[in-house]
Order: sequence, then C-alpha cells, then structure tokens
Amino acid sequence: MIEIAESAVRSSKKLGVDEAEGFVQRQRVIEIVLERGEIQSERMKIRRGIGIRVIKDKRMGFAFASMLDQQTIQETCRDASKLASVSPRNPDWVSLPLPEKIPPAPEGLYDENLANLTLDEALNMVLEGYEAAKEADSRVSIDEGKLTVSSTEIAISNSHGINLYSEGTFISFYLICVAKEQGEASSFAYEYDVSRTLKDFSARRVGELAAKKALLSLGARRIKPFRGDVILSPEVASEILFAPLISNVNADNVQRGRSLWADKIGESVSARSLTVIDDGLLPYGLGSSPFDDEGVPSQKTVVIENGILKSFLYDTYTANKVNKKSTGNAARESYSSLPSISISNLLVSSGTKSLEEMISEVNEGIFVNRFSGNVSNESGEFSGVAKQAVYIKGGEIKFPLRETMISGNAFESLNRIVTIGRDRRATIMSVYTPPILVEGTTVVSQ
Amino acid sequence: MIDLLDTCLSRVDAEYIEMRGHTRRVFSVVVKDGQVERIVKGLNRGACARALVDGSWGFSSTTIIDKRNLLSILTDARILARSSKPLKKRRVKMAPAEPHVDEYKTCMKKDPRNEDLESLVGEVLDADTEAHEYSEKVVSTTLNLSVVDDEIFFVNSEGARIKQRIVRCFGTARIIAKSKGNIASAYESTGRQGGLEIFKDTPLREAALKAASRAVRIAPKRVVPGGYYDVVLENKIVGLLAHEAIGHTAEADLVYTGSFLSNKVGKKVASETVTLVDDGLMPYGFGTMKYDDEGVPTQRTVIIDRGVVKGFMHSRETASQFGVTPTGNARAWSFEYDPIIRMRNTYIEPRDWTIDELIEDIKDGYILRGGGGGQADFNGEFMFAVQEAIRIKNGDLKESYRGATISGNAFEVLNNIKGVGRDFEMNIGICGKEQPNYVGIGGPSVKTKLLVGGR
Repeated sequence: MIEIAESAVRSSKKLGVDEAEGFVQRQRVIEIVLERGEIQSERMKIRRGIGIRVIKDKRMGFAFASMLDQQTIQETCRDASKLASVSPRNPDWVSLPLPEKIPPAPEGLYDENLANLTLDEALNMVLEGYEAAKEADSRVSIDEGKLTVSSTEIAISNSHGINLYSEGTFISFYLICVAKEQGEASSFAYEYDVSRTLKDFSARRVGELAAKKALLSLGARRIKPFRGDVILSPEVASEILFAPLISNVNADNVQRGRSLWADKIGESVSARSLTVIDDGLLPYGLGSSPFDDEGVPSQKTVVIENGILKSFLYDTYTANKVNKKSTGNAARESYSSLPSISISNLLVSSGTKSLEEMISEVNEGIFVNRFSGNVSNESGEFSGVAKQAVYIKGGEIKFPLRETMISGNAFESLNRIVTIGRDRRATIMSVYTPPILVEGTTVVSQ
Repeated sequence: MIDLLDTCLSRVDAEYIEMRGHTRRVFSVVVKDGQVERIVKGLNRGACARALVDGSWGFSSTTIIDKRNLLSILTDARILARSSKPLKKRRVKMAPAEPHVDEYKTCMKKDPRNEDLESLVGEVLDADTEAHEYSEKVVSTTLNLSVVDDEIFFVNSEGARIKQRIVRCFGTARIIAKSKGNIASAYESTGRQGGLEIFKDTPLREAALKAASRAVRIAPKRVVPGGYYDVVLENKIVGLLAHEAIGHTAEADLVYTGSFLSNKVGKKVASETVTLVDDGLMPYGFGTMKYDDEGVPTQRTVIIDRGVVKGFMHSRETASQFGVTPTGNARAWSFEYDPIIRMRNTYIEPRDWTIDELIEDIKDGYILRGGGGGQADFNGEFMFAVQEAIRIKNGDLKESYRGATISGNAFEVLNNIKGVGRDFEMNIGICGKEQPNYVGIGGPSVKTKLLVGGR
C-alpha cells in the first residue's frame, strides 16, 4: 500500500507541483442492521481508494478515486494538480508535515480476531444482544440497532519523506428498545458498546442494559418547570458540554473567529474541577493511532487543567500559521476527504463520587440519559428533549419523566459544574467522561 | 459496465438476484472566510449484488470491477442470504414488478461534463465576498458548491436493464454574525436536479446574502420566550415538517412497525386544507428519478388527500406485505447500501393565502423563519430548530428574536392548520435513515399552533 501512496507522490511531482501527499485506505466492513426488531440487512463491503493532495505555489488541489490502478492514479494526480492551478494562492500556507519520529503503536488498536471475524460470528453477536433484550422482560421490544465491524489499513506518503502505514480494528453495536405496558409506551432507550478489540466487548450487555433503561422509563410523569440541578449521563455530557468545548479549542475555529475562547489561553473557562486531556496514544483508545492522518506523531495534549484553558488542538496548517507545532489532531473521514482538526480521545478527569452518591446530593433535579435536540457549537446554546430522564427529589429518584425540554448554554454550564462523577465511559464521539452534575439548567416538562 | 453486470448475473442461478453498478463523480468547492478551504474532484465507482434466498436477503459490494470480483460478490450475497436466514422471522416476498429496459437522463441545459468546472470557484469566492461585505458584523462564512453526477446501472434476474444518469447541482451558505457579545448563525441553500444552469437561475450569492442578513439581524437579539402560540411557519420549515415529522411515518416499513399512520388509511389526520404528496417525477426535483433502485418506475404518491390518509410509500417487499402495488420508493445511497424505503420529493400542496392573510388575525404569536436541524419520532413527535422568530401582535410584525426550537406532535400541528399559503417552494435536503439520500422537501407557509421553546 505504501508503494501506491509513493507512486502517487512521484506522479504528482512529475507534474511540477511543489508538494504532494498520497493517502491510501483499504477497508473491510461488516454491517448488520436491525430494524423493526428484525435483521433488516447484512452487508459485506470491500472498499479502497486514494486521496491526493498537491500544493503548487501555495495553491492546493485535492482529488480522490476509488480505483488504485496506475492509470486512475495518474488521472487523479492530474485532476489535483489542475485544481491547484485554479485555486487562489493562500499566503498562510507553509508546508505539509516533515517526517518525525513516530511513537510505537499503543496497545490494543488492532485485533486479529476482529479483522478476521466471519459473517456468521457477527450475526451471532447481534443475536446475542437481541436475545438478551428480549429475555430481560416480555414488555421490551427492540426498535432498531446496528453492529459495525471494520478493519482499516492506511498508508500515507508525502514529498518530504513521510512514508507510514498502520492498521486498526473497530467494533460498535447499539440497540434502541422500547417497553410497552397497558397501552403505554416508554421512551426509546438507547444503549451501546464500542471498542477496538473483541476483548471487553459484549453485545449481550448492550441488550440487557437497553432493556433495563426502557423499563425504567415506564410510568413517566410530568413536573412543573424549574431551574435546577441536572445530572448528565456521559453521552449527554459529550453532546451538550463537550461538543461545544471541542469546537472552541479547534485551532481552525479559533483562527477564524468562531471560538469564544480565542484569547482565553491561561484563563479560567470552567469550574476548577474540570481537567480535559486529548490523548492520541491511549491504549485501546477509540481515537488512538501512532500518527494522525497527515503523518504527524500522536501525542497527549492538556486542553483544560483545573478550569484553566491550556492549549488548542492543531493540525499542521493551523499550527504553521501561528508558528506552533501540530498537536497531531488531523483526521480524515476517509480517503475521499481532506484532513481537518478533530479530537483523538478526549479524556475528562474523574472525580470521586459514584452516580448514586451524586443523586443523593441533589435536592431537586433530573438525571438525563439521552438528549435529542440542538446544540450550537459556536454559541454553546443547547435546547432539546431530555429523554430517558428521571426526577430526583431529596436525594432520591422519584419517577421517570415524560419528554422534558432542557435548555442552557454549554459555556455557562461548564462553569456551573458541581460534581464530576467517578465512573468514566467511552462515548461514540471518543469522549471519555463520567456523569456530570450541572446546576442552573432550565427544565420544562411538556 | 451494464454489459459486464449482465454477463455475470446470467452466470448464477437464484430465486431473485439484482446488481447495481454506480459511478459517482463529485466536484465541490468549499470557501471559508474568503479562503478556498478545498476544491475536490472525486470518482467513486463500485458495484453490489443483492440476492433473495428462501425469503432472506444478502448483500455484498466491492470497488473492484472485474469479472472475478463481480462473481465473488454474487457468491457472497447468496452465502449471506443463506446464513442469515435462520435468524430472520419474516420471510421476504416481493410484489411483482414489470422488468423495464430503459434509460433516463436528467434534463440539463449545461451538462457539467462539457463545462469548465474550475470556473465555478470564482462564483463561490464572489458570493463569499458579498456575504462579508454585507455587514461588518459578519464574522465568518462557509460556502459550499457541489456538483454530483451519478450514473446508475440496474440489472436483475427478471430481465430488467436500466441506465440512469442523475445530475444534481447545489450550494449551501452558513453565515455567522457577532453582535453585542452574541454569536448567531444562519443557513440557506440553493439547488436542484439539473445542469450548471441552476447557478444562473438561483445563484449561490442570493442564498449567502439571505443568510447573512438573517444572521446579522438576529445576532443582537434575545432568545425567544417560550410558550404555546399561534404561529406562521415559513415554507422552508413546512417542508422540513412534511418530510421529517410526517413523511417518515408514511414509509411502509415504519408503518408496519406501528408508526402514527398505521391503521389510518381512509381516516382524517389533518385539517382538510392539507394535501401531502411524495413525488418521484417532479421536474427538477432533488429526489427525482425515473426508476427506483429496485427498477420500479417512480410515481406521484398522494399520502394525505385533503386531510385524509390515502396510502404509503412502498418497496417491492412492503408492497407485497400490504397487498398493494410498489410506489418506486426503494432507494440506495450508493453501491455500498441495499435499497430501503426513502422519500423522493415530499411537500404539502399550496393554496391561496398570502403571507399577510396568514398573519392578519393572529393576536399574539410568531412568524418562524429558517429551518435548522431536528428530530422526529415515528409517532409524530418532533422537535426542530428554527433560526428566527418574529413576534406578531394584533396582526402586525413586531420585534424579532434569535433562534428557537419548536416541538409537538406533527399531526396536531396539521390539524391546527387554519390557513395554507400560496408561496410554494421546494428545497434540497439530505435525509438520514441509516444511510443518507438526496431528497426534495417543500411546501407553502402555513398558519397553525405549536409549542415554541426558548430559554
């Protein structure tokens, strides 16, 4: 694969470009989709392709193709080079990354067993999760779900001498369940598991937990609107607190005036209890790799320490622009996309309290398991429906809530963090966070 | 490619098997704040096989197109169908469909293959400049222009052999404005099925300026106070509602599992001023195609006729379950996906009210403008973001507010409709239902009642 990437770089250089980069990806994907409580489709995909980025006189062009034969690659190089000539000159362009020493791959990013998982084995996993939900309680039914298993190889080569190869595996499974009792339906309960390896992955646990969550939301009631304490589950905290945070520390957003934290390095941006680290080398990490999608070594970057904003996250372009080093946060969705800044694994430091202890300290409030609504990453405003929520009074869970609106502002909420829980969980966004208790959120039951 | 597909298909024996070949050429330009963020040209080509064995589907795809690999996906699809069969309770049957041998091509004045795509870069940059010059309060802009050129080949074991070429040109503008320490963003789009002439008829700069003026207007404003109000929903939001909150509940696979519309054929679910259609043949529609991805001709499917439920959207599989004729709604995003029931162009039909008439007898309410993201459950419960809310007091427009969410049950909203406007408009959408797809969404502005959520 490296040879293909290298040949694209060579072909581009022959066309007279200043710099060139080839990104080759090869993937095998199994997807099993559950819908209406049944296996709806099962797919096996073999996918490969190349993305070619060239720079000519500070002008960039990019082209991709899903075919890797010599002729297609040469045409793609020509397309990229042609696009570079019509692209306006970008005076801020400095250079593609230069080769650096790459750290050894963290443990647990590639699992041979997962890469070779057969279709039958994948089907059986789905069945396990499915049966677990069904067996949990006869009132529970499965609405939808999906198992995705992927094995990906990438090769990056650029004209400064970067020549890298890596492989990784990934498995994720989710289920959405609903419980029905005497004509009343619970809200849709979502549960998932996601991992780089088969070790510690359990489809059965997903089924059990999804069923349990669905049952817990039967008998839902309404409450009077109030402003108070809200405990956010890891998934909800990721969506409404950390998505805006991630957007605000993205150096590209900072440089374009899209971040409210642009001039806040060294200043307090959240409660003192919050420490957030981006760690691209976390063993078994969902977003881990020895190098990022431009070939820059992965690293650990302290983003917020005890409430103080320490660093933004950079790729090579945004770092060069301000004379800094890339933090190794360039990511691509696939060979068909250019790199852009993304977190690797965002680790939120844990506190000491269990979820039960957190609940026991709430006088009046709610615990939100799932959120369905809108979050503006720029302004931090969020507003939407708290799903799978329960009402807490006097330190105890009283009853599940009917669909309830919550709204607030992420940046205000980050300052209103009362407690960060103990038990951290990886979310599908690669944010590793415990549940978080925030005060002063508006809660309106419909 | 279609001959190769046909040859491979004829070599295997199965109850039912189909193959699709798909070449997608894309060209896209993204401009952020006066800088070209990226110019991309791309080519994706692949093929897939879907086999039905004893009522069980199997699917396999590849990006390597030669005889050996095509025969291997045909084998994989059948193996998959066989091995997943014991896990499926329902046995799939397909409603009959005539095997068509036909070709379709988007009607275009300026076919992108004969045009100099690179010159479009200048157009995006100009639109960006205008948006920035609109006001010093505009702090950031992201403009996108895309040309997506699809060639789809379909063959099946019943003898169908269909070639379609579908070209879509579209653009989007997201503008962020800052004022009094607040940041607000606004979004507009342009585009349809057709050639590059689209950008002459409805230029990207118009969308960019519209978004810029809204972002600047709402940035200094407060967030709307919440409550249950009489509202006028602008046509863009009506399209969103028609698709997201109502349309999905009329997709036969969701009807089958008990969506809001199950068992409601012939029943009244909306005010008699409401007629809702999913149309696969609409000229220039973003979701228009002559045949769906099962080779079934598309049609104009009436879902709600003057308030009464008429029918649903079907694939061959659900048409057989419901004992009806397939409607041509089975669509796949690419060769990497099996076709599922999707909308094409979904809209509420216009009537004759003007905006002034819709507003005039509202004592205390809002006119809501500019659609945003949102969610809807198949019981009709929905929640959308809207970009701007303008207060109506005794029939007059008053102060405007920044963004809000609207929520409720879509069928309650349809029942509450007291007036349907004449300002019909179709917009582009990319809908996600496990896999994305291009759809048209539209309607006129309407007057109704719903919950406006603020802070």
